Amino acid sequence: MIKNKFFKRLIEKGVEAMLTLSGAVTSIIILFMCIFLFVEGFGLFKSSTVEEGYSIYVNSENPVSELSPQELKQIFDSEVTNWKEFGGKDQAIRVYRFDEIFKTYPEEEMGEDFSILPIVLGDVVRENEGIVAFLPTDFAPEANNGIKMIPADQISFSDFFLGEEWLPTATPSPLFGLMPLLLGTLLVSLLAISIALPLGLGVAIYLSELADERTRRFMKPVIELLAGIPSVVYGFFGLVVLAPIIQKTFNLPVGETALTGGVILAIMALPTIISIAEDAMRNTPREMREASLALGATKWQTIYKVIIPYSKSGISAAVVLGIGRAIGETMAVLMVTGNGAMIPGSVFDSVRTIPATIAAELGEAPFSGPHYQSLFLLGCVLFVITMVISVASEVISKKQNYKH
Amino acid sequence: MIEAKNINFYYDEFQALKNISMKMEPNSVTAFIGPSGCGKSTFLRLFNRMNDLIDNTRMEGECIVDNQNIYDKKMNVDTLRKQVGMVFQKPNPFPKTIFENVAYGLRVNDLGNKQFIQERVEESLISAALWDEVKDKLNKSAFELSGGQQQRLCIARALAVSPSVILMDEPASALDPISTLKIEELIHDLKKDYTIVIVTHNMQQAARVSDKTGFFMLGELVEYSDTKKMFLNPEKEETQNYITGRFG
Repeated sequence: MIKNKFFKRLIEKGVEAMLTLSGAVTSIIILFMCIFLFVEGFGLFKSSTVEEGYSIYVNSENPVSELSPQELKQIFDSEVTNWKEFGGKDQAIRVYRFDEIFKTYPEEEMGEDFSILPIVLGDVVRENEGIVAFLPTDFAPEANNGIKMIPADQISFSDFFLGEEWLPTATPSPLFGLMPLLLGTLLVSLLAISIALPLGLGVAIYLSELADERTRRFMKPVIELLAGIPSVVYGFFGLVVLAPIIQKTFNLPVGETALTGGVILAIMALPTIISIAEDAMRNTPREMREASLALGATKWQTIYKVIIPYSKSGISAAVVLGIGRAIGETMAVLMVTGNGAMIPGSVFDSVRTIPATIAAELGEAPFSGPHYQSLFLLGCVLFVITMVISVASEVISKKQNYKH
Repeated sequence: MIEAKNINFYYDEFQALKNISMKMEPNSVTAFIGPSGCGKSTFLRLFNRMNDLIDNTRMEGECIVDNQNIYDKKMNVDTLRKQVGMVFQKPNPFPKTIFENVAYGLRVNDLGNKQFIQERVEESLISAALWDEVKDKLNKSAFELSGGQQQRLCIARALAVSPSVILMDEPASALDPISTLKIEELIHDLKKDYTIVIVTHNMQQAARVSDKTGFFMLGELVEYSDTKKMFLNPEKEETQNYITGRFG
């Protein structure tokens, strides 16, 4: 008997320890993931604005001594062809890429280990006053007598957070501007939620208050089933059915727009919103309804004056999960929004969202390079957005909640 | 005046009320007593048509409130419920402020302007003997009140729309003895302006507050007479057994 009791206590202690351990392990893993995300992401700000292993050189006669990543991109994309735009002389810009040297000097003449290469390159830069040369640092000429190196900065916070261009593979100077992706994400999510929220709440009210028992018993599982369909299927549906419809309806050149993404996301978020909001409304105690009706309130007055306020916290949970789904959704959006990383001007523009960017680019980003780190930083941004939304909803529902 | 004529009531196949007829006098308190499941609450809920909210129910007979058959097709249920107020078993204030709880009935029925609502809320809280306790915190949540206060708030809420009848479904069953006493005193005071029908499990309470008492058992009205007579000298043996505590 005593032995029995002892074993029982031992088992209880064991279970207790296991539960504590699993809780601790989960917390540690989550914490570790967050730290990993942020450390990787913020590594971006330690990288140079110019591609690693390369430097930019100009002729020392050239008064321009600093070039921002945007300016470099404009030069190398031939968008700007004259130095005076950057405060230099009125002189044509001669873009010089490293491999051009082999057109004038055959590889065999470079000597052992290309030892002559820096000298030859130095001559090229010295001779051309309008040159801007993009050269590997290992073979670069020394920066004196006639040669000037354009110093490369570290990527700054404003380069990332306020940058208006996302060109992570541009050479010599990749651009990691968050704005187009952030605005794309917000636009698509906003569209999605402004379609899904009224519709979802409407259906939830219908199901919980107006539909008869049989209809509800049929509809609820069907709607919840929709939540289980993989997003790639929604994406496929959007691509094949929705995009052509939108293209025809609005007479657009292509159907892959922010609007298409918004509609698909709305369809995806609907089951979650409906299901949770409906549960919340049905959980309104019967006494609440009866109290309202017994005072002569109509069904509608009861719904919007008692049931909706009472289920406010449940409804805001539905909204948050809906928005969360919309902001974090990757695959479907990737398939239907066209993925143009530009700041959208209208809902008919192609946009690229943050998660779609991560999914599309992580595979081709060199490990631990600036591009790779920038994608992690995008993950951090996503993380912060979701956190802000859920905290905000918590605060709102707490503030207006008169329940215990 | 309230009158029920030959009422039969069914939940699906189950007959909850069997051929009940009775009259309740204005400005009096009528109590319904009886063991659980005897149909007294069901009967009470007929008079503001609360049973309409329950699916698969069926009712036969006539209910007359203020000379109107309330189950007539032409009857507006919302108007009826304004006329016949109800207080429930558990205090059920809305998740709103104290003021808004009382004002609710006035607002949903579009009764009066802001000033009228203000006055009516105060009057109702005074009638419900709650004013002194809450006058400084009208804008606080109703959930901050104690259970007894919440129930008096629910009574004030019912009074605000000026009903002629108040139905009370075991209004004190979830309250402590002191709160119960307050509610009983309140019922006594309200009698002069309202017709009150109260369902109770507590026989002493019925004896204390009511003028007439109806004893229900298994869906039948076994006995209905003056409260004094019922408790001192009941006609039926079942009544005698119940009130002396031999079962129930």
